[in-house]
Amino acid sequence: MKHDYIDRYSKLESPVHSLDPRAKAIALFALIVICVTTPPRAWWAFCVYAGVVLIIAAASRVPVSYLLSRVLVVLPFILMVAVFIPFMHKGGTSYDLGPFAVSSEGLLVLWNVAIKSTISVSCLILLSSTTPFPDLMHGLERLHVPSFFTTVAAFMYRYIFVIVDEAQRMKRACESRNFRGRWIWQARTVGYMVASLFLRSHDRAERVYQAMCARGFDGTFPLQRESSMRAADYVFMSVVVLIVLTGRLAVLWK
Amino acid sequence: MHIPDGFLDPKTWGTLTGVSAGFTGYALYAAKSKLNEKVIPLLGITAAFIFAAQMLNFPVAGGTSGHFLGAILAMVLLGAWPGFLVMVVVLMVQCLFFADGGLTALGANIFTMAVIGGLMSYYLLMLSKGALGRSLSERTSLLTCTAVFSWISVVLASIACSFELAISGTVPLGTVLPAMVGVHAIIGVGEAIITTVVIAVVLQSRPDLVDAYSGPPELGKRVAREVA
Repeated sequence: MKHDYIDRYSKLESPVHSLDPRAKAIALFALIVICVTTPPRAWWAFCVYAGVVLIIAAASRVPVSYLLSRVLVVLPFILMVAVFIPFMHKGGTSYDLGPFAVSSEGLLVLWNVAIKSTISVSCLILLSSTTPFPDLMHGLERLHVPSFFTTVAAFMYRYIFVIVDEAQRMKRACESRNFRGRWIWQARTVGYMVASLFLRSHDRAERVYQAMCARGFDGTFPLQRESSMRAADYVFMSVVVLIVLTGRLAVLWK
Repeated sequence: MHIPDGFLDPKTWGTLTGVSAGFTGYALYAAKSKLNEKVIPLLGITAAFIFAAQMLNFPVAGGTSGHFLGAILAMVLLGAWPGFLVMVVVLMVQCLFFADGGLTALGANIFTMAVIGGLMSYYLLMLSKGALGRSLSERTSLLTCTAVFSWISVVLASIACSFELAISGTVPLGTVLPAMVGVHAIIGVGEAIITTVVIAVVLQSRPDLVDAYSGPPELGKRVAREVA
């Protein structure tokens, strides 16, 4: 596994990548919250949100195919809701689709979750693929997220690919001995694998801690370069929030 | 069970964000004495381990596969509040970097998987372990309760998740509840087997690493028996 598995493409160079993590986080989190609280019938508002996301995506130079493949994670959830749609008969017009009757109410629910989850997931993916993990954690810390979380997450980021590699080595060793993990009673073997993964991870944690102490670790991570909010960051933040808010409020007035 | 953004209405996610923030704040306070610079690497690597272990999927039936929650495992190994905090970090990173679970739904997901499937199930586990411990050995009662409550934790979490979705008007409760609980009753069996085997193996080789175990180390007992 590559070490940039978690934040792939975060080291590209683009106008979006060079923004301060705090500006990106505030702007995109605001977009998500505003989007999620928009009533589903506000079609134009969603066009505005989608437009903003597309512009940021285009400016970020992250490959479109990569973004699309990551956005697909919400698909199972949307399908799950789609499966339940025929059971919703809250009223409104209904359409006959063979054996099922689909109410317009149900379709509205489906549209609601599909558009909101797609826009929100795109925002999160854009944030993580334009900001290196340590920078984002440091930005969150300066936005007053408790440093406990950012420090633990920093360790997690540093070791996740080492441990996943270890897990994959064990999986490969099992598969080469004809274990495929196909049935639920084989969960026992997976249990043995997880147990030895834990013991190895724990040993590693102890070694890492001793090595870090030997190098003067005091519970905090010094940063190589201190980022500061520049004019461009404030402009980006306020432009995104203003456009999105205008889209949201325009609906209220109508 | 990681609910994305847009599936919950503002009153549901707003309330649950508040509740989870309260639990997280209390956890930071309760575990403060334990959270020195020595345990932070351990918690970070445990978080990475739970993350990696969630990648070892086990297929359930008919194409659905379940990966395990790990909340009970984290709490039995690390203790209630440090285990809770590790789950919060895992959910936070999954949300921010994998878009697995939404940002506005983060509070709801913490509530489902770390409060209901974690803390509540863990305290029920410790209560029944205490009750069983009067007639059985510590090791047997811990392993029995781990098996039972790992299953219960997954099922309780799926019930909480169904209610959250139904209260938000996303899916009708009457159909989502049986479907979710049915699937997770099967996934829970896998979770129970894995968690119990992991705890049993760790008890055998490093009993000092299991926070919920206070009995004598197995190896020590064997040595004592042989000396006697």
